[in-house]
Amino acid sequence: MKGPEASEYRIARLRDRLADEEISELGVRIDMRGGYVHLWGTVSTAACRTEILRIAETELGGLPVRADLTVACATVPERPEELE
Amino acid sequence: MIRVAAVGDIHLSPDSRGLLRPAWETLGDCADMLLLAGDLTRHGTLEEAEVVAAEIKGLPVPVVAVLGNHDYHSDLQDDVTSVLERAGATVLEGGGTVLDVDGTRVGIAGTKGFGGGFAGRSAGEFGEPEMKAFVRYSRRCAADLARSLLELRDRRCEVRIALTHFSPVPDTLAGEPPEIYPFLGSYLLAEAIDESEADLAVHGHAHLGTEHGMTAGGVKVRNVAQPVIGHAFAVYHLPVDLRIDVPAVG
Repeated sequence: MKGPEASEYRIARLRDRLADEEISELGVRIDMRGGYVHLWGTVSTAACRTEILRIAETELGGLPVRADLTVACATVPERPEELE
Repeated sequence: MIRVAAVGDIHLSPDSRGLLRPAWETLGDCADMLLLAGDLTRHGTLEEAEVVAAEIKGLPVPVVAVLGNHDYHSDLQDDVTSVLERAGATVLEGGGTVLDVDGTRVGIAGTKGFGGGFAGRSAGEFGEPEMKAFVRYSRRCAADLARSLLELRDRRCEVRIALTHFSPVPDTLAGEPPEIYPFLGSYLLAEAIDESEADLAVHGHAHLGTEHGMTAGGVKVRNVAQPVIGHAFAVYHLPVDLRIDVPAVG
């Protein structure tokens, strides 16, 4: 089977691969839009982001990728929330 | 007023050693406790648990935690719990703990919780043994949470907080694909929180969700997954309700 369906399976395999032992990353959203595979979300470290992009390259086999992966911020919050 | 600091889904591993410690060391200035809403590790290994332990050891506020699904991944959840407890954390699964905050008794009931979905679109205890086991487990987590919250009321806690990893409401999942909501939480947790009239519910698990939600009964829910709150922790100022309704004894 060729075309979009094949891309779907590749994306599903990428999701499985990200969830497995290697990296266990379940917080990245992966969708096909405008002919590109979009990866977005927040990951815990820069090393994790690099690894996700490396795995994506190997699993997607040449499909064009647009990534917007940010690294979680470990700063003190500016203010509390007052709950009534 | 009680100052609650909370965060979940920190997913620590050896390459993130020391990442949160500088921010957490300031907790004594702005919070009375730190609640950890699960997924503290990436794969649930002891090596990763030791990284979490080093981050929490000797913090200026008490640390109360539940584990998340990642912390169960290596089938070492009991050992992960032991490592965190040795570092001074109280790790809850179906139980509760009481903190004394300047004379105010604050009760925290915790469970990892589980999925199953939300009212009207939830899994039922029917059919294959695997399906029944899934729903029974979710029910058991919720029942334990309700029982613990009620016990904390009987122990005269002026403030009671429900701490879970999975979400009790769909509100805080907004941003996640709707198709996966049944894997992100269960209305059974919200039902337990409402029945026992908790003051606040804190959870993690939904990295792409939103921070604010509320149960049908009006209990505020906060998704404190680190990617959602965008900081090393969030702080909530919770008023103390002095009208304690303790059932008559005998």
